[in-house]
Amino acid sequence: MKKISMSKILRYLLTYGLITLILVMATKFLQDRAWFLSVFFYLSASLIFSTYVISKKTPGKYLLPGVLLLCLFHIYPAFYSGAVAFTNDSNGHQLSKTQAIDAILQDSKIPVQTELPINYQVVLKDSTREVFLVFKYSDSSYWIGNSKSVVKLDQSQLKFSINGQIQSVDGQKVLASDQVERYINQIQNITIKMASEITLQPIDLETLEASQPVFTYNASVDQLTNVLSGEKYQPNDNGQMVSDSGELLYPGWKANIGWRNFTSVITDKEMRTPLLAVLTWTIVNAFLIVTFGFLFGLVLALIFNYKHMRSKRFYRTIFIIPLAIPSVLSILVWSGLFTAETGVIDRIFHISTPWLTDPWWARVAVLIVELWSTFPYMFLISTGAIQAIPSEILEAAEIDGASPTKTFTQIKLPLVVRTVAPLLIASGAMALNNFGAIYLLTGGGPTFSNSNGNAGATDILISYTYKLAFNGQEGNNYGLASALSILNFVLVGAISLYGLRKMKTMEEIN
Amino acid sequence: MKIALLLDSKKFKFWMRKVLWRHLVGFVVVAFSVFPLIWMISGAFDVTGQISTQMLIPTHKGLDNFAQLFSNSSKPFLIWARNSMVVAISASAMQVGIGALAAYTLSRHRFKGRKLTLSTILIVQMFPQLLAATSLFLIINTFGKSFMFLGLGHQLPLILVFGGSALGVNTWMLKSFFDTLPTEIDEAAKIDGADHFQIFRKIIVPLATPIFVVTFLLSFIGILNEYLITSVILGLDGNKMTVAVGLQQFIYGQYGKNWGPFTAGALLATIPVLTLFIFLQKHLVSGLVSGSTKG
Repeated sequence: MKKISMSKILRYLLTYGLITLILVMATKFLQDRAWFLSVFFYLSASLIFSTYVISKKTPGKYLLPGVLLLCLFHIYPAFYSGAVAFTNDSNGHQLSKTQAIDAILQDSKIPVQTELPINYQVVLKDSTREVFLVFKYSDSSYWIGNSKSVVKLDQSQLKFSINGQIQSVDGQKVLASDQVERYINQIQNITIKMASEITLQPIDLETLEASQPVFTYNASVDQLTNVLSGEKYQPNDNGQMVSDSGELLYPGWKANIGWRNFTSVITDKEMRTPLLAVLTWTIVNAFLIVTFGFLFGLVLALIFNYKHMRSKRFYRTIFIIPLAIPSVLSILVWSGLFTAETGVIDRIFHISTPWLTDPWWARVAVLIVELWSTFPYMFLISTGAIQAIPSEILEAAEIDGASPTKTFTQIKLPLVVRTVAPLLIASGAMALNNFGAIYLLTGGGPTFSNSNGNAGATDILISYTYKLAFNGQEGNNYGLASALSILNFVLVGAISLYGLRKMKTMEEIN
Repeated sequence: MKIALLLDSKKFKFWMRKVLWRHLVGFVVVAFSVFPLIWMISGAFDVTGQISTQMLIPTHKGLDNFAQLFSNSSKPFLIWARNSMVVAISASAMQVGIGALAAYTLSRHRFKGRKLTLSTILIVQMFPQLLAATSLFLIINTFGKSFMFLGLGHQLPLILVFGGSALGVNTWMLKSFFDTLPTEIDEAAKIDGADHFQIFRKIIVPLATPIFVVTFLLSFIGILNEYLITSVILGLDGNKMTVAVGLQQFIYGQYGKNWGPFTAGALLATIPVLTLFIFLQKHLVSGLVSGSTKG
């Protein structure tokens, strides 16, 4: 008899358990109308099944977990940005159109005047313990109902007491007022839908209030009408209902607005000016920090790569301390040290500099902190590159009588730059998105006076995007933020591509 | 007599001319390097807890800031530390695990689409996840509408999001290490009847332990340091934040008031990472060397 090993059973349980779980999730997403997620989960389940149960090929078994997660949490969000960038997704524009119109109808209810107050009494159905309200409505008919349904009662179904109060319905006694209180939670959630859009809702333990939406929606012409004024509202191209006189109804819905997020940053001066400043600083900042960082690192590497010097190891260890402190914390500490006048830096140097409140000083502060955090890496790679220069070349230069300056500028420097160039370009691409150094140090500020309160002098694209999406002064604008992310994708992509090209040509040279 | 001889000696003159200034530069750079760390330490032990009166060596030393940090119930540092640990440990374990599986097959097996996979990983790596933070927020929000535990404010989706970057973060590094392990051992094991997963589990994994430690620690530190995606997904609710996000909320715009407890918290969070880093450095060098000689 063939022995069935534990690991085999475990593997079966794991595979089928996982597939079941994913299928269940896919179905739930389908119900909740999350189409992409649903399709992706169904597809994942079938891929897992075919890879681990049917297929005999090995590589897929090792790659699939990583690939699925990569698609869902790395590649999909990138494309999703592309889709959101063409919508007006933002606060007040997150519902679908039907949801938004429902919300407008619900929110706009006004009380309907009735001659007499509508009194109700409570009946509990024995079988289901469901709460029903019994009441006399408009003419003189009696009704029974709750949120789910409402029906007219026949006089014969009712039994009245001597003073005209309802005593029982279908032999079911109405609750006495002291009992009614026990069901207050259920009662207050009841909304009874009567004819012609009129709804009834309890306002206390005895009375119902009749109300009616101000608007009626006509789906065939896609139009809302205000019953009181007769004014008509039609959808505009920004996902909102608007009247002829330009009055907007809230909430709006998520609508496709085409290229408007992209064109508005070009045509709208209030957005163009700050965005241009942000874009410029993004590039200038990345360029400066890589240049300064590299120069500083290279000079240090030249100084400390000296054979007659002792305690080089000690210096090297201390120099890389900036790499070993969690950058979030070190930047926050720097930010405290830079506080004007009371901060440590101003006090020890006896100066009074508006570090974080003046645009130019704030930029200087950002560069100092970034230099502090990048020079160790630059120092390490420069040291590596210098040590990798073959000693024969340097000896040959010496024999040929080249001066130290000439040896440096014509041999050492070109060789080092050639080795580290791809690394520098990669650093540049990273520096474009150095969110922490900006957001945690200056918060992107000081804020421009002409930018709707969002962009600041030290903002780079990623921090500006973050503020637009999650910290907006005029609400969170996910659509616009996504459009700017795309700009950022293009920028990073261009620089990385340039780096790859450079790397390739260098491989060819070698 | 002796001193005069020493001062006069050729060696000393050489030292004065060629070496001394290097030490002077070294001293300045050291001061720059440790600048924030020193002030973090001095701030943490300065009882007055004020940035405006802080001296390099505090005049009133004590542990008051630590006591304040731990007793603040609206800024629960210990809960933040626990959140950070849960997220960082599980996410980096996931990153290393998933990365190792992919790196193994990319290093050991030759199959159609291998080159494509490798170059895709390279390209994806260029575009960090934080570029699409807005979309991640909206996607996790959609998740949460169907499954509460996968929604905003929960740790599981954050861990999965970090897991999603596993291929980009670790695979190349692990693969180049696996490439250095001789394939002869695999062949021998195959002849003995081992299947591909047994080779991975019983041969590759034990040999590659040093590189696993290194990638795990790098992932771990990276995740501890992550601010943007973490704050977007977990939100800024007192009990849900990580140390990085929590301390930022704690200090932001409050340098006058919360400086003392903040530096205390920052120091507590820095010590383990700094220690790990020193440990990691040794491992990074010696681990790579020992890994290649074991085979």
